[in-house]
Amino acid sequence: MHIVDGALSTEVLIGGGVITVAGLALGLRALDMDRIPVTGMLSATFFVASLVHVPLGPSSVHLIMNGLAGVVLGWAAFPALFVGLLLQAVFFGYGGITVLGVNAANIALAAVLAALICRRGIQSADPRLAMIWGGLAGALAIALTACFVGISLAFSGEALIPAAKLAFLAHVPVMIIEGLLTGAAVFLIRKVKPELLMLNAR
Amino acid sequence: MRCQLSPVKSRSRTKAFSVLVLLLCFTMGGLSPALAHKVIMGLYPEGDIIEGEIGFSNGEMAADVIVKVFDTLGTKLGETKTDDEGLFTYTPTRYIDHVFSANLGQGHVVKGTVSKDELPHSLETKAAKAPQVIAEKKPPDSAPQATPSLGQFRSNTLTSEDLEAAIARAVSKAVRPLRKDLEAFENKQDLQRILGGIGYIIGLFGLGFYLAARRRLATQTDGKS
Repeated sequence: MHIVDGALSTEVLIGGGVITVAGLALGLRALDMDRIPVTGMLSATFFVASLVHVPLGPSSVHLIMNGLAGVVLGWAAFPALFVGLLLQAVFFGYGGITVLGVNAANIALAAVLAALICRRGIQSADPRLAMIWGGLAGALAIALTACFVGISLAFSGEALIPAAKLAFLAHVPVMIIEGLLTGAAVFLIRKVKPELLMLNAR
Repeated sequence: MRCQLSPVKSRSRTKAFSVLVLLLCFTMGGLSPALAHKVIMGLYPEGDIIEGEIGFSNGEMAADVIVKVFDTLGTKLGETKTDDEGLFTYTPTRYIDHVFSANLGQGHVVKGTVSKDELPHSLETKAAKAPQVIAEKKPPDSAPQATPSLGQFRSNTLTSEDLEAAIARAVSKAVRPLRKDLEAFENKQDLQRILGGIGYIIGLFGLGFYLAARRRLATQTDGKS
């Protein structure tokens, strides 16, 4: 999920940087004062989730939780995930500074798109239906991220179909887990603090 | 919300859950390992050869990966390949900095440098007339070629070059576990750093909150006056 320094061509780096700057501008504009604590919270969630590697079968996976950030924050997911990525790059060497734009675009744009697609479902009157759509948003965010990673690599010289396929397949378990987690989170939010999601309806 | 489940229902849920876990394990099994992890490369100059290993941050090693060797300007010097355990060896023939680079696909690129100071000084003398470098793959435990025999030590024919090589080998052997420890330490994700990161996030968003609040206050007072 984190592409490292030196793996991508300059064009892709610039493209990712432009998308991220635009996303950050949109996100900061959308960010009301009373949404700032939530944004920080989800930024921290993302930061920690991608550091904790859960052993699974012969390998291990780490969560990303960008779907939840997208569902709750909308465009404000860009600053939240950007900060998380920046700190991961600085503290742990995950990804890197030059690829920050591409990584942020891959993860945050996927989150925003997934949330936009599933938004109506999440706001439905039936909490169970909302839960299902929330789960879908969580899984879709990962799937889109994987596709974006594949596309970034393809534009840097790797063959598109194998690269995208591999990135996609590798994230199938993450998609399932995050789908379940995001669904559960949406269900819980609907029960205890529905305004967290509704505020985003504007 | 139902809080209590009937035994039958809870059993069927447990079953569904275990099926899901099995499915997850199954999907993971067929995949190339650790695509979501960091790649780590260790380089250990030892005598005439440079040994290295490539692995993922979760402890898996990268088998059958081509390692390309460059000089600092990016001119290719040669290449080698990792074995099943992620180990590779390379025999430097020039007294220059060596940059090792491997692409494991999926955006996982790793680079490492061996500075020329760590190479045997015997290379320095023949550096000028060295031909283009030929990469060589050897089993990692193959004995270094120029080991001075015991006889050489006894009869006082030991040249300073041999002595230097022997010392260099001994030192690099002694230092190797330390290097490995250091590398593991550098790549460790300890709680302090994670907590530090969370602290930064809280601080950053707190700062944003403060600025936003100040702006709002300013507009409010402007409105009043």
